[in-house]
Parts: sequence; structure tokens; C-alpha cells
Amino acid sequence: MRSKFTWLLSLLMVIAFQFSYAQEKTITGTVTDQDGLPLPGASVRIKGTSTGTQTDFDGNYTINASTGEVLVFSFVGQKTEEKTVGAASVINIALEQDAQALEEVIVTGQGSGIQKKRLSTTVDVIDAEQIDRLPATQIDQILQSNAPSAQIRLSSGQPGTAAIIRTRGPISAASSSTPVVIVDGIRVDNLNSNPELGLDTGGASVSALADIPVESIEKIEYIKGGAATTLYGADAANGVIQIITKKGKEGKATVFYEGRVGVIKGTKDYLEYDRTAEALFDPGVSIEHRFGINGGSEKFTYNFGGSLYEDDSFNDVNEQVRRSFTFGFGAEVSDKLRYQGSFSYTGFENTLDFNANTSFSRFSNFEGGVFGDLNELSDAEWQAEIERSDAIAPLVDINRKINRFTASNKFTYDITGNLQANATLGVDYRESKDEEVDSNALQIALGSIPEGTTDQAFLSRVLRSSFTTTADLNFTHSYDMENFSFVSILGGQFFRSSDFQNRLDGSGGVDGTSSINNFSIRTASDFLLENANYGLYFLENIGIYNVAYLELGGRLDKNTSAGENTSAIFLPKIGVTYNISDHEFYRESGLYNAVSTLKLRANYGEATNFAQPFSQDKTFALESFLEQPAFRFDQPGNPDLVSELVKTYEFGVDLGFLYNRLNFGVTYYNATTEDALFTPGAPPSSGQLNQIQNIGEIENKGWEFELNAKILQGQNHNLSMGVSYNTNENLVTSTGGSAPFNVGGFTVIGSWVEEGESLGYLRGTIAELQDDGTYAFTPNASLGKTFAPYFGSLNLNYSYKNFSLFVTGDYQYGGSIVDLSFLLRVLRGVDSEGIPDELFGQTSPFNYTNFVTFDNDFFKIRNIGASYRFGDALKPFNDVILSFNVTNPFNWTAGDFDPEITGSGIGTQNGFSSGGFAYGTESAPRIFLTSLKFQF
Amino acid sequence: MKKFIYINILAALIVSSCTDNFDGAVDFTDVENPNLSEQSVVGQPNSSEIWLTGIEREVSLTLNEILILAELGSDNYVNTQTFYSQFLDNLDIRTTDPDIRDTQFRIARLREAALFGLETVGPADVNYNTETEAEYHFFEGLSYLFSGMYFSGLPQEELGPIISSDDNYLSAIESFNQAISLNAKPEYHLAKARANYYLGDKVNAVASANSALALSNDFIRFANFDAANGPTNTMESALYGRATFDDFQPLPTLDFLDPKYSFLSASEDAPVAYLKAEEAHLILAEADITDGNLSSAQMKMEDLLNLVSTREVRNIDDNIEQRSQIDPGSRPDSTNVVVNGRSGLVLYRLGDRIDVPSVSGTSLTQSEIGGIGNEDEALRLLYRTRQEIFISEGIRFVDMGVKLVVTENEILQNPNVSEGDPSTVPVIPSFISSIVGDLDKINYEPGSGTATTEIDLNEILVANKSSDAVLPFN
Repeated sequence: MRSKFTWLLSLLMVIAFQFSYAQEKTITGTVTDQDGLPLPGASVRIKGTSTGTQTDFDGNYTINASTGEVLVFSFVGQKTEEKTVGAASVINIALEQDAQALEEVIVTGQGSGIQKKRLSTTVDVIDAEQIDRLPATQIDQILQSNAPSAQIRLSSGQPGTAAIIRTRGPISAASSSTPVVIVDGIRVDNLNSNPELGLDTGGASVSALADIPVESIEKIEYIKGGAATTLYGADAANGVIQIITKKGKEGKATVFYEGRVGVIKGTKDYLEYDRTAEALFDPGVSIEHRFGINGGSEKFTYNFGGSLYEDDSFNDVNEQVRRSFTFGFGAEVSDKLRYQGSFSYTGFENTLDFNANTSFSRFSNFEGGVFGDLNELSDAEWQAEIERSDAIAPLVDINRKINRFTASNKFTYDITGNLQANATLGVDYRESKDEEVDSNALQIALGSIPEGTTDQAFLSRVLRSSFTTTADLNFTHSYDMENFSFVSILGGQFFRSSDFQNRLDGSGGVDGTSSINNFSIRTASDFLLENANYGLYFLENIGIYNVAYLELGGRLDKNTSAGENTSAIFLPKIGVTYNISDHEFYRESGLYNAVSTLKLRANYGEATNFAQPFSQDKTFALESFLEQPAFRFDQPGNPDLVSELVKTYEFGVDLGFLYNRLNFGVTYYNATTEDALFTPGAPPSSGQLNQIQNIGEIENKGWEFELNAKILQGQNHNLSMGVSYNTNENLVTSTGGSAPFNVGGFTVIGSWVEEGESLGYLRGTIAELQDDGTYAFTPNASLGKTFAPYFGSLNLNYSYKNFSLFVTGDYQYGGSIVDLSFLLRVLRGVDSEGIPDELFGQTSPFNYTNFVTFDNDFFKIRNIGASYRFGDALKPFNDVILSFNVTNPFNWTAGDFDPEITGSGIGTQNGFSSGGFAYGTESAPRIFLTSLKFQF
Repeated sequence: MKKFIYINILAALIVSSCTDNFDGAVDFTDVENPNLSEQSVVGQPNSSEIWLTGIEREVSLTLNEILILAELGSDNYVNTQTFYSQFLDNLDIRTTDPDIRDTQFRIARLREAALFGLETVGPADVNYNTETEAEYHFFEGLSYLFSGMYFSGLPQEELGPIISSDDNYLSAIESFNQAISLNAKPEYHLAKARANYYLGDKVNAVASANSALALSNDFIRFANFDAANGPTNTMESALYGRATFDDFQPLPTLDFLDPKYSFLSASEDAPVAYLKAEEAHLILAEADITDGNLSSAQMKMEDLLNLVSTREVRNIDDNIEQRSQIDPGSRPDSTNVVVNGRSGLVLYRLGDRIDVPSVSGTSLTQSEIGGIGNEDEALRLLYRTRQEIFISEGIRFVDMGVKLVVTENEILQNPNVSEGDPSTVPVIPSFISSIVGDLDKINYEPGSGTATTEIDLNEILVANKSSDAVLPFN
């Protein structure tokens, strides 16, 4: 340690020595744009060093430099210029506008990318820098607090578990709100819930989002639904997460290695009893090695990224290992033909503990009061519980293995100078094996079978393979007239997905085996979903005087999950964008100095969600009943079943103040889900199962505000921040005359769909104090909405020379959540905090559910990170970056529990997830991470 | 020339790619539902037999719903920690209770399955036979019987008018008659006897009970449970299993009869005897008592004892059960505890294996039978015996005269029923509603060796024998 420090110190002294002997003089000057307008905040740097400054409000700068050194002048939207320091001590420079740089290109999924300024819709973009600085191993962790208008709620701290992701409120009662995920144009498995035949570990559902590789991401675009997703068709109404991977950059190859070491600690912040932590928590270590190569020639570029990760989590059961690599490349096959390919592999293994809804779960037993008030147990009693818990932990055997491959191919052919053909073809294959072995020893330790039993072990194994093929062919034509420009896209797309699950269950087993062959009773079940979706789409984007744009488009969409009486659906979109600040008169007017960007946008678009494949068919089932075949009625069927349709219109304004140092965007959206897919309770007298039908209507409307500010732009200090605030008003405007139906939770306190209420609102019996001192009970009363109607995120970035610091956080308020652990404690008579004596013990807690329902408000700091960039000071490396990061360091919540936790939330495959029940699983842990990255 | 060949080959390739021969490779829209369609069920040889097994399975599912509610709702069991019904323990019967809704659904599904068998599957099967047809009629009748037993009114068709409990019993009798006419079985007669019993039709109840016993004096009709493929026996989980949130605790007077259902094998859960010869003896004995013929009643009760003595007693390891699980020792858990002045009712479970009757058990003795002095004494003893014989079989709830309600889902969709209609209002006799809080209440000081139940419900039932709701022969 000491020798390293000495080495570092001497290196710094050498650098300082070099600086102090340079021949310096003071250079001053003004940086303007091509029209002579001063550019405040423009960067002036000495090439090859980390020394630099920025211009003041009048575009003036001062910098010390030596003769012969090269000054580099740069500003967003302008071409970078270089000037060599000569005899003169004043260097004025006019930067030319860089059309390319100004026009950030958005990959809208179909056709070529399109310039952001032409779009009437908003897209949240997360760039490589934001991604790389996070210690995230999952895509949802990256999105959290980085996508300004998305709500990402981590439902459990256990590895690979699902996060509830939503943007503009819940639009569907028939699916989770998880967006479509597209990697390099290819749809990938986005199952964000337990699979149909998944293991019943009590909760903490697993997610396919957890194993999308996060290495080598160039950028992520989060498209929030509405008109922006019309062209994606099919199930894009919940939005689209578009991941674009790195394909390499022309130039000298860069190679990096990064080592990350972290300490993972379970958080006690939300626990009722510290003793729960004492029994279960056990700080773990995470180790990750990351490696990458990026480079290329004029004709061929390449990128490789790989990672090896392992942690043993914050408790005594969970572990995870992750191995992944991605590579991408781009090739100029000919003058006209370009080819881009990418491939990724993830291998993910983890172990889970029992959660929530099973009495095998130690966590929910401790927190739910099964053993009484833990604080009241004597030391001896508690010691016995710890010993019991310690005996169980090594016997818990729930493990998962996932292998995933994603490959994308994209061909671009320039037919003429302004007509381009794009073809994309790719596949995603994800195979998972979930296994649970409940040995006799485990069951004895849990007290569920008598001591001495040797023949009641269980084995369950779920094998799921998901395969998605995507193909897209489109033609993009651009045409510029003097005052008008046209971008026309015509294309066709199809994707086909299959989800095949097999489950094996063995019982009557002895201990010491995980082979189904060694169980005396073996049963099997399978489940298949297959869907093909295909559509034709077109888009016409007309530029008027390069300031206003009119967008017209549509998609004709057909899906095999629709009933036989239905036909293809046409989804139109229309949008208008007016970049007022792009007018020449505007730029020349004084207004530009105050409001540098002024953009108005409005659009209307439709998008759909299709029902689960095969849910349109009338079916029967044959059960095995005591080794005899047994028929039963299955799904009643619905030949009129069609996708639900979300019609969205939105208006927005983007404003940039102080030469775009302060940017403000506001959007109003109003989305109506027509023909909403509801599965109301069939009348019990029919004796038939519930059938999904297009009978509902749901409305979501709200505002999205986003503010980004570059507060400091000095020679050394830079400070910027971003804040977002979103509102959502959700209402089920019609249930088509059907009775309210339950979409989550429990029999008497659940998430419900009912006309005039928010989707999935909490319903239960409430107790209200009357004037005479007694309590009146109202059944089926509303306990509030599960989706917080107000939410947002914030980030703060500060840098001082080579040191940088960032903080990200998010918040929500206005929603409700049931603290189910508390409810259980009340039910078991061990906790009565806040419950009136007239009620506690006098009547069922299910008669006073309002006393166990709380606000789900929180403010959480998700990450604090600091890094120091050594630059090329540590040769032979071009750059060395040392960083520290703390995940989940601080939080403030309205209740005493974690309102993100939904231990029993997302049980059914791709089912609606209200997240209205906090229960029975650990919160995301606190992670302290150090990393050292070497680049050469 | 070369060009010509190339073009021809290319053209041939393109053309052939568009034919059916290449469909498998290029048709991406073909999907097939692997599940069974109606054509795979109806019209296939032997489908009526497979359909019948399916109905047997439906009966098991129906009993799973009924038994939890009925046993909690009666004084048999108390709910110490469970996510099963939160309400029935206190006889809190609501139209919004999803468990009651599911019970109605299961009863209706049993009917629909039986009718689909009778009307569609059976006639289309070349191997359809009268035994199967008789079973279909029996199950249709069973659906009406359950409707009558547990609900004051239920529709007999989808969104149909509400049929009263009595009319459902009459429909049941009609179906049982059809079954009997095709293939008489003792349980068909007993089911008919039960319907007549609850209708208060003593003559026909007695006739059917005698017909049943004439065919077999020890018959049992079981609902079976498949431990591997389901349905598993929910009551077994509640009484014996310890893997989920459940712990039903019996009234201490019934401790020796618990758990009726316990671990059988990895492939099969304990079956539920839902129609058994004991019931015929009990009906005959009660008829005799109410006819004032005590000596004949005493003989019937002795017949019953003889039958019970032949029933299976299972020797099980019940160490994990506890009294109770959450608070061990808080309820009587030792053989030396005397309950209501009677000893031998409580078992010690933490030592050796224990004997528990799996079909019928009773504390009734020859000397008790011999000592019967008057009609009420006889009825009290008879009702105590009914409670014991039928524990965990859902009968006690019906004997208490309590009825469930049509639930919200039906009310909102069925034009024939509105909130407030008689079928939506729980039926709880006043002498029951006044003691709801005491149904499961016991007085017991741990370690004291004596325990009492707060009330003796059998006494209360007999004291109110003139009520229409209970003791139907009075």
C-alpha cells in the first residue's frame, strides 16, 4: 500500500514539475458563432492537456498557454476549431454551425434514424457516459432515476427480480406495464414477471430484464408510448426501450480493463425488527472484471465488451454470477452497402430465498410476527430462533440459470443519393432453468414435516425457452426542395415470438439429489405461447422552411392473437413540430439572447397491446386425476378478441434559456385505452372461467416537466443538474357493465378494477369513528390508488478539473400501499401501533384495512458516485479512472416500510402489477463500490 | 447463353419459393394452439368416461371450497392464523366475500359439467353407457343438493332466476331419481335421503335411507384428491399440513377426531367421505326419536356404533401440529385434560404416534345409548354424534341452519337478483347469531387439566328444535 502511494505521489510531482517549467503567457479573446453572436460557456482547452476554461456571458475568455500549444475551441452545435498559439496574445474566433451535431438523431425503430428536431414526440435518451458511471448490472437499475419520466420500482432486493416499470400510468389491466425492449432493432424477451409455470417461492418474481447485457451500450432511448410508438405496432402501447450497442469507432484501438469491488449490505431502514437483520443479513462482496476493445478503420469498425461478475449478496442465501460479452461491428461492404452486426451473450446464475407468501420464508415470518414481537423475546428465545434460522439457510435450494443470446444484423443500401433501403434481421433466445429442491431436512428444519421423515422431498424444475425473431425492411427517401424537405419511410415489419415452458415436479424423494429420476412421484406440465405479428407502415415527415415539421404516418397491423372474427387494425399518427427559434429573424432578434430555444410540438397517435396468445380460443383441458384422464372446461373463448387500442394526444413546449444553459421541457399527454382488455369475473352461475374481453376504457392524462441546468461552467468548476416532475391521473372510465374485478392482492383487501376508480386501486373495508365513539364499517371502500400520481427524478453532476461527482435520486407521492407485514402482525396480535383499542382484537383487521394502508411516498437517493480521472498521467495508460459509488445511501419514506417492495406483486405471467402490497421480501441493498479503470 | 441459364435458375428458384413446398421456411404467421378444442372432446370414443372422471375432480374442487367455509362457520374449528376465509369464523357472511363467490362458482361448474355430459358428451360417444349416464344425473343432483344445503337461493342456470333452497332439494331429488332408475347405488339413495331430511320429509328420508342400507350397510362415496397433480385436499392443508398460513384448531370436545385428513402418500391426499352409510343410520335414529320410538332409535344408534367400529383408524405422527402452532400449549393438548367434564377427548400429540379415525369416529358409548331417558336427551346425543361423525365434512354448518348468500358478481350481472333480495341476505337463526362470538370460545388455563367450551351448541340446537331452520324432523 505504502509503496503504491509513494509511486503515485512522485508521479504527480513529476507532472507538477513539468507544468511549472512551461513558457506561459496569457491569451484572451472572444468566441462567437458564425453570425458574430457571442457564445457563453464555450470550451477553450489546451490540446493534449486537461487545462481549459470556458467563455463568460459575453463570450470572452482568458487562458494561460505557451507558444506552440494548440487551443481547442468547442461549443455544442458548432464545429470545433483549433488555433496554434503564436506571437499574438489575443485570439478571437468565430465557430461555424455544425448541422450534424445540432441535429441529434433518434433511432425511431423503423427506417433510418431521424433528426430529433423533426420529431413531435419526446424521447428520453441515456448516453454511454451516464450508463458507464453506474454500478448497475441490470437495465432497470440504469433506467431508474436516469429516465426522467419513468417510474422504476425495484420490487425486491433479491437477484434477478422484477422491477415495475411504467411511464404514463397504467394503460392496461391485461398486461404488466413493461415496455417493449429492442436491442439493435431486435425485439427481445421482456417477461417481467414469474412465468406461467414458474416456481412459487412466495413472491419476488424473476425478470427477463435482469439479463439483458449492460456492457457496450452506446445509448438507450426510452420512448414513452403514444404517437412515438405507433409504428412499432403490436404491444408497444406501454412504450419502447431501445438499446443501441457500440459498433466501434474509426481510429486507434482503445482497450480498457475495469475492476470493481463492492460491499453489499442489507438495509435495516425498513425493518420492523433489527433482529430480523441480525438473523438474516450477512454483508457480501461483489467483484466484477470488465474488459473492452474499441476501434476500427475507415471500412471496418469493431467493439467488444465483456464482464465477469459475482456477489454473495446481503443475506445468507442469495448469490449471483453473471458472465456476459457483446460484440458489434460495422463494415462498408461497398460504396453503397453497409453492414452492422451485433451479438451478445449473458449467462446468469443466482440463488433465491423464499419470500412473502409462503410460511417457508424466514423474512416474512420474522417481520410478519409469526414468532411474536421479536423485541420481546428473551435472549435465550431469540438465540433459539437464530439457530433455527441458521439451520434453515443452508438448506434453502432455489436456483436459476439463464443463458441468453441476442444477434442483430442490419444492412443499409444507398439505392440513390437520397433513397436508402434498410433491412434488419435478428433473433433473441433466452433459456432459463429455475429449480427448487425442498429436501426432507429443509422441511424438518422448517417444522413442516415430522422429525425423522426421509421420503417427502420435493423437486420442481421449470424450463423456459423464449425465442423471438424480428425482421424489418424499409425504404427511406429524403428530398430537399428550397423551402421544403421530405423524409418518407415505407416499410414492413414482422416479429414472431414463442415462449415454451416445461415444468417437472417430483415428490416423495429422499435427500441428496436434484435429479427428477430419484423422486418416486413425477409429474410434468407444459405451456406454450406463440404469436406472430406483422405490419406495414409508412411515415411522411415534411419540413417547412426547416423550422416546422409535419409528420404523418400509420401502421396496418395484424396479429395472430386476435379472434377469428377480427381484421387488421390501422393505427394512424400525426404530429406537428415548430422550432420557432430556428427562424433566422428569431436568431437575429434580441429574443434569442433570452430564450435561445423555443420549440412547440403536438401529436396524436395510436398504439396497441395484444392479449396473451391463444386467449381467443375456446378450449378444454385434460387433467391427470389419480392417474386417470379427466376432461374439464377450460377457456370459454372469444372470437371477437382484438388488441386494445391506446389513443394518445400530446402537446409540448421546449425552451432553452441563457444560450441553452437552462433547458425546460413540458408535455401534456392524454391517453385513452379503448377496447381495453378486461377479464371480469364471469357470473358464478355460469360455472365458466373468466374470459378476457374488449370491454373496458381507461384514461390516463398528465404533465411531464423536465428541467436541465448548467449552473457552473468555469475553468475548473462545472455543475449541472436535472430535475423532472410528472403527474398522472388515471381513471377506469368504463368496465363495460361488468362487476368490479380483482387484479391483485388478497381476497378481502385487493387491487381492483372498477368504473370511476383508478386502475388497480386498493379496495377494502374501512372503519371510521362516529360521533358516538363507535366505529362504522364500510365495505368495498377505496383505500387509494396504487400508482403514485406524482413522481420524478433528479440528478446532480459536479466536476472540478479531473474530479467528478454525481448524485441521482427519485421520488413519488400521492399513492397508497398496504403494509402487509404490519397487517399480519396485527392479525397475529403482536402489533397494534396506531390502531384504536375499539378495533384491535375486537374485530378482524380486514374490517379496518384503512389502518394498515399508508401513503407510498418516498424520496430516495439511488446513487452517489465520485471519480477521478488521471488522464495519461499514469503511463503506459492513456487514462486511468478511479471511482467510488454508493447505491441506495439515503431514503425518506412516508411509512416505516419500503413502499417499493412488492413481494407478492407480479405473480401471473405478464400480469397486471399494481405494486400495492409491501410485503415479505428484502429491499434493494446498500452497495459500496470501488472501481479502477485502465484504458490504453 | 450463360446469362440465360442463370436467369432461368433464378426464376425457377423464385417461383418455387412461392409455392407450398417452401411454406415451412417462409410462412412466419402460422401458429397453433396446442390445447384441446371441442372437437377433441365431443364425439370421441370413451370421451364420456373421461368427462365423468373430470366431474369427479370437480366434486373434489367443490368440496375444497365448501369445507373450509362450512367448518370455520360451524363450531367445529377456529381459525388461528390463515389466509383462508377471514369472515366465516364469525359467521360474517357478505355478498362481497370471494370465497363464497367461488363456492357458488364451483357448485355451478359441477352442474354445468354434469349437464354437458348428459347433453353433449354422452350422446356423441359410441361407448356411452347407463352407468355413466346415471353418474351424470347423480352429479347434477349433487350440485342442486349442495345449492340447497349451503345457500338460501341459487340459480340453476347461467344468470337464471334464483331457486330457493327447498326447490333446489326437490330438483336434486328429481336428478337422484333418474340416476337410481338407471343404475341404483346406495349413495344415490342416501343423497336423496339427505335432500328429504333437510326438507323435513321424514317419510321419504327414511325410505331412502333404508333403500341405501339395503344395497350396502357400509358404503362410502369418496371425493378423492391427487397430491401430485391436484386438486390437493385443502382441508388436509388446513388441519395437518404446515407449509402455508393455516392452522385450524378443533373444539377441544372434538380433539380426538382431528385431523381426519393427514398425509397419505406423495401421489394421493386423504379422501373426503361425502356420502356414507352412517348418515342413513343417523337419519333413521332421528326419525325414530321424533316419532317417540326411543328403543328403536337406540338400536339404530347401536348399528351406527357397530359400523363406526369397522371404519379405518389411521396411526399418524402428528408432532408438527401443536395446539396451537402459533402459541403452543395455549389449547388443551394432553390426555389428562377433561373437557366439559368428559375425559379421553384430547390426545397428546408430541409423543408417540396417535390413532385418528379417517372416516368416522365418535365418543358415543353403549352405556350412553342405554341411558337415554327422553327425546331431548336422545336428540342432544344424536346431534353430538352427528357433529363427531361428520367433522371436517361440512354437515355441521347445515345442521346449524346457516345459509350463505348470492355474491356481488352474480348480483351485478344477473337481472333476476338484486342486493337486498332474500338470497343475498345471510340466514343465521337468531339463537345462533346471539352466540356467534362463543361458537369457538373455550375456557382453559394451560396446564390446569380442565377445559370447558363456552357453550354447548348441541343443547342450543335441541332447545330450538321447533325452529324451521334446524332439526328438520321436529
